[in-house]
Amino acid sequence: MGVRPGVSPSARATVFPPAIPRPAAAVKAKSSAPTKLWAAIFWTAILFVYTYTLWLMLRIVLQYTSLRPDVAFLEIKQDYIDIPGYRLAFFTHVFSSGFVLLAAYSQFSAKLRRIPGLHKWLGRLYAYIVIFLAGPTGLFIGFFANGGISSRIAFCLLAVLWVSFTILALLKMRARQVQDHARWMVRSYALALSAITLRAWKVAIIALFHPHPMDVYRIVAWLGWVGNLIAAELLILYLFRRRARPTPKTRAQLLPTEVHL
Amino acid sequence: MIRVTLLVGLIAALASCNKPSAPQANAAMPKSAEVSAAAVSPESASAPQVTKVNASPAESGATQDKQNIAPDAKPVASSDQRLGYYVGYFEATEEDDAKDPMYSNKINVSIDSISGDTVTGHSVCAGNNRPFSGTLKQGKDGVFDLVLKEPGDDKSDGVFTCNLDPKARTLKGEWVANDKKAAVTKRSYELAYTTFKYNPRQVLGSIGEAEVYGGKMSRRGKIEAITDDAGKYNASVRVLKSHDVENMYKRDLEVMRNTIYARHGYSFRNRAMRDFFDNYVEWYVPVSTDVSHELTDVEKKNIELLKRYEDHASTYYDRFGR
Repeated sequence: MGVRPGVSPSARATVFPPAIPRPAAAVKAKSSAPTKLWAAIFWTAILFVYTYTLWLMLRIVLQYTSLRPDVAFLEIKQDYIDIPGYRLAFFTHVFSSGFVLLAAYSQFSAKLRRIPGLHKWLGRLYAYIVIFLAGPTGLFIGFFANGGISSRIAFCLLAVLWVSFTILALLKMRARQVQDHARWMVRSYALALSAITLRAWKVAIIALFHPHPMDVYRIVAWLGWVGNLIAAELLILYLFRRRARPTPKTRAQLLPTEVHL
Repeated sequence: MIRVTLLVGLIAALASCNKPSAPQANAAMPKSAEVSAAAVSPESASAPQVTKVNASPAESGATQDKQNIAPDAKPVASSDQRLGYYVGYFEATEEDDAKDPMYSNKINVSIDSISGDTVTGHSVCAGNNRPFSGTLKQGKDGVFDLVLKEPGDDKSDGVFTCNLDPKARTLKGEWVANDKKAAVTKRSYELAYTTFKYNPRQVLGSIGEAEVYGGKMSRRGKIEAITDDAGKYNASVRVLKSHDVENMYKRDLEVMRNTIYARHGYSFRNRAMRDFFDNYVEWYVPVSTDVSHELTDVEKKNIELLKRYEDHASTYYDRFGR
């Protein structure tokens, strides 16, 4: 599965999912003017909501800039706060993971990906932060998660999968398997977003059912990322649906170089 | 365009269910950082007027001079059947509803000494400890008529007019506020002689669901309640661990912590706590407005832990953040 013939590296990454030769009919059917307008409104709205959510996350991260051992969440982590490395791991996790959430802006935008090197270098930054900082520290503090064995398994598994998916995405890119790279990145980012979804589920569940605080924590420790992974798989199916059912003609064209699924 | 933000967007839409513009819960609340067991004030942090529990003896002495608070003098053991604590409900009979009155409080009227026709004592009620002095007259059937005046230098002062029955050991009568514009200008009471001794083994027993005075109403129209969890552990006896308390509601934690103070006879200023202990806890007797120097080491430790979880719960329980 080498480089696709006739596709230059810069052209390769200009759309998401990565460009593949499409049957002419599919391209034609794609865009009428009103559809385009609605799509633009839709994506703009989503960008705004995401930005607002990041603003909320930023406020959470900023609470911890004092580095005090009893701030916010650490208020109820006093049993673990003196474990060697816990504080270092916790604060590293908070600040590095917060940063990682910005990657959506540049990495999933087809337009921004046209800028030479931007996708590559910011992508590496994302991957290295996840693999070396946010992921391992997440695993470490996951061992001491509140809510007992169930939430500990949830958070540790989340960290392991997050690092694994990110490494896979990186390796796929190295191997120039762009679509696989995209697939694994969607999965990796879905897990990164669990920082947001976990909190969103919490708010929703508490507003609806008013459960005990640690009960809801045990639930969202799983729901926060398993839900995202399911959504990610559905999204991958949707994004790559054209490839799943190519016309006989294109299939014949694609087979030699493209089929690696 | 940015198709993957579909996922992001769904997620963010969910996140926006959160109430972002909600004010920072209780800005006035001390962050637990500063809260050492010693400095934790009883009741809830949202009651700013709460007396600091750990006022040093010197400090509390000064306060007492200034506010003319009677020392928590225990009545001298005496053969005089008239002396002692008279405890019961202090119920409003004339009030101004517009001023948010508290209709009923548990009061402890302590008759400390009687010499000739002079009576001195103090009353403890709603976080106030006020001295009084007055006169006593022999009435019919061995009952005494008392007129007891509070000093008048506090806005809550007034005059008790009551009958003391030394046989039945009851004190009944009326109280009239000096301040005619107070929320409650007249109260009546029928108090019974009561003794008090700190007993760390006192427990709350079954609560069921006690509605919180002034509690928040949920979206389903249910008022915040105190549950049986509040009495799950005796925080005066057992050293609590994080996992004992981490799954408890904020109000239950608050009640568990304040039960420590209640065992010592602390009189609550905070209305929610006062309402609960006055009305749901039979053994509770208000005897003092400062019990800080009577807390045991176990109690201090538990107060610190519980306060930390309370603060955390009130700031973060239903919010997006943390």
